[in-house]
Amino acid sequence: MDFGRSPDEEAFADEVRRFLAEHPPERFPLDGVDAGYGSGAHSHAFMRALGERGWLAMCWPEAFGGQARPMFLKLVLLEELALAGAPFGPLAGSWQTADAIIAYGTERLRRELLPAIARGEATFWQGYSEPDAGSDLLALTTEAKRDGEHWIIRGHKIWSSHAGVSTHGLVFTRTSREARRSRGFSMFVVPSTTPGMDIRPIRSLTGDIYHYEVFLDEVRVPADLMLGPEGEGFVALLNGLDSDRFWGRFYKAPALLRVLRRLVDYANTTVVAGAPLARDPVVRRRLAAMAAEIAALRLLFYRAACLLRDGAPITYETAVAKVYADETGQKLARLGLELLGPWGVLRRGSRAARLDGDIAHAYLTSLGHTIAGGTAEVLRTTVAVRGLGLPAEPKAR
Amino acid sequence: MDFRPSSAQQMLVATAREVLRKECPPELVQRLALDPRGFDDTLWRRLAELGWPGLLIPPEHGGSGGSLLDVILLVEEIGRAGLPGPFVTSAVAGTTAVLAAAEADARRRLLPALATGERLVTLAVLESSASFDVDAVALAGAVPGRLTGSKLFVPDAHVAHDAIVAVREQGDVSLLLLPLDRAGLARLPLDTMSGEKLFELTLDGVAVSADDRLGRAGEGRRPLAAALTAGALARTAEMVGAAQRVLELAVEHARTRVQGGRPIGGHQAIQHACADLVRDVDAARGLLYAAAWRVAEGLAAEADVAMAKAYAGEACLAVARRGHQIFGAIGYCEEHPLHLLHKRIHAASLDFGDTPLHLETVARAIGLA
Ligand SMILES: Cc1cc2nc3c(=O)[nH]c(=O)nc-3n(C[C@H](O)[C@H](O)[C@H](O)COP(=O)(O)OP(=O)(O)OC[C@H]3O[C@@H](n4cnc5c(N)ncnc54)[C@H](O)[C@@H]3O)c2cc1C
Repeated sequence: MDFGRSPDEEAFADEVRRFLAEHPPERFPLDGVDAGYGSGAHSHAFMRALGERGWLAMCWPEAFGGQARPMFLKLVLLEELALAGAPFGPLAGSWQTADAIIAYGTERLRRELLPAIARGEATFWQGYSEPDAGSDLLALTTEAKRDGEHWIIRGHKIWSSHAGVSTHGLVFTRTSREARRSRGFSMFVVPSTTPGMDIRPIRSLTGDIYHYEVFLDEVRVPADLMLGPEGEGFVALLNGLDSDRFWGRFYKAPALLRVLRRLVDYANTTVVAGAPLARDPVVRRRLAAMAAEIAALRLLFYRAACLLRDGAPITYETAVAKVYADETGQKLARLGLELLGPWGVLRRGSRAARLDGDIAHAYLTSLGHTIAGGTAEVLRTTVAVRGLGLPAEPKAR
Repeated sequence: MDFRPSSAQQMLVATAREVLRKECPPELVQRLALDPRGFDDTLWRRLAELGWPGLLIPPEHGGSGGSLLDVILLVEEIGRAGLPGPFVTSAVAGTTAVLAAAEADARRRLLPALATGERLVTLAVLESSASFDVDAVALAGAVPGRLTGSKLFVPDAHVAHDAIVAVREQGDVSLLLLPLDRAGLARLPLDTMSGEKLFELTLDGVAVSADDRLGRAGEGRRPLAAALTAGALARTAEMVGAAQRVLELAVEHARTRVQGGRPIGGHQAIQHACADLVRDVDAARGLLYAAAWRVAEGLAAEADVAMAKAYAGEACLAVARRGHQIFGAIGYCEEHPLHLLHKRIHAASLDFGDTPLHLETVARAIGLA
């Protein structure tokens, strides 16, 4: 066993910290709101800066323009960025799309998209959910029909995060009707500027624009922008889910640690009835318990990371980690709001706001985390059925 | 990072699991809990043959020179089997105190018999404050002189040969190693719900001399802290092992108990409860291993140990309680293994510092003023 960083990882962490000192994260212009997962706001400028350092492609095979560096350096990068509160929102999605393209992308996707991802230019929105297809994604009705060298997509996607500020959509469609309900789905990488796509913002409970609704009306997509084998899109999606849950939440623990540190500082410097808040035994215990939870969360992710690195089978580990990440985040945000009392609800920029209004924002965004990317209920069922071998509930259909 | 135990550690765990499966079945655990002595000499000798009591002791004193991480992996199996008794008390906490405190000749005198399991030591730390904070030690010790007072919650004192007694000398803490049959010492049993054997140790004018010292006068703080750290991690390992067992039993029950024509584990309410058991056990285990690794590597680990113990105390107890719900009435009966695992987790959560004590350590470590 070994629970430390290797010398290479430590050296890389230093390099990242130096980069952050030279490029203070708060100086980068933002394109999209921080959704609270821990990866900060959506900033193309920051992504380009990471691209310039060569960090976006560092773990790709050399044949694809990468440097074949160990996967754990990505974890180091994510941890350091999250601890600094940097705006790297699109990063996990870019990495995952690149991995899929490297694994089974067409020549064109490899030639055109990989370099754009490496430079931090291409960012992706996910067009999976539909008004009547949420947890039951297979109920989706968006269809793609073959027309010579193109596919023509018609349908309606919803809850597509950052669709209005990302360059490409990953649009999940039905391409044929098969006997097996899970067959006949295909994924397309569609440039957001493709004619026929109407991308409309939806205002969230935070008051910001984060989600979009996308109407696809006769959208013509070249056949070689299909990602993965035709009709096998759901299998690919399922295989990708473990890494999705992993990469989409890995940075939650360091991001929560950053919030915790701010709350500790707040408790130390805020005097209530003549004594610092930090002297209140209940406050001390609850903050200390959160520190333990965050440390436990980090280790759950590192355990899953070791399995991913070693190519060991994963049945429940990423699902457990994701649920725990989301619920721990909700708990910390709740505690933060309580500590701040009436100041907690003041938004960023408000007169008298404390901690930049970040706690209110964290609280509100955390509500979506147990829904997005597989609800906590669906994932607990996954843990029980796939991980523990309990019998699946009978299907409704 | 690497979560995989070394091949030697894997072997240790596999052997332990097999031996305990055969020689420490739930019926024995049950019998030991109900029996006032609760110590199986044959089983202890068997564990001693395997070299377990000497795991922490260097080879030159008859042990195998293992690390605290090795010990933690072994104790996890002991907790999983529900084996009570003096392993943690003597082979982990007591031995750590001796290793940290004793000078060369005392090491030569004590360690070989501890390594073979022939000699058992217990720790007498707590007093009426019931606090594992080293500063709470109040029993006045003048050496040479006579000791009068009492120590509480002393484990396994009925089978131990000596007690390491923490006393206060001129503002500092000293350790004494007292044979438990010395005149003036009495061991009064406490009746615990877990069936663990705890005693009040009363000292009525017990004569002590410089020969009884374990380490130098006033220098007991550091070895005591080392013993408390090792004990806290061992108790954490016991909790994690016991919670792992509850998880296994609960999942098995969910798969096989049929109601309304299908296994109860086919209902989401039970599935989700089982998923939470996995989360709690895995999360507690991660903190445990990481803390034990830091101690074994000689890195600063005070906060890590405190987090591991505090976290497991809550998480493993939650596992036990949820386990009861999954089992229904059968888990309520004495014959069923669940309640002892539950009670053992509870006892372990209090031993070597309860959750509030460890959370206070964490609170300081994260910078709370
Ligand atoms: C912050 C956020 C970001 C998102 N980003 C994207 C995105 O970028 N792209 C995208 O395509 N989608 C996105 N989504 C949508 C997300 O994938 C869906 O919300 C999710 O799959 C759940 O679907 P639903 O909202 O329709 O809820 P439903 O599926 O209707 O679920 C409602 C409730 O019923 C429960 N439920 C449903 N089925 C079961 C079952 N079988 N067993 C037990 N309970 C069940 C759920 O757990 C939940 O509590 C996002 C959502 C949020 C909140």
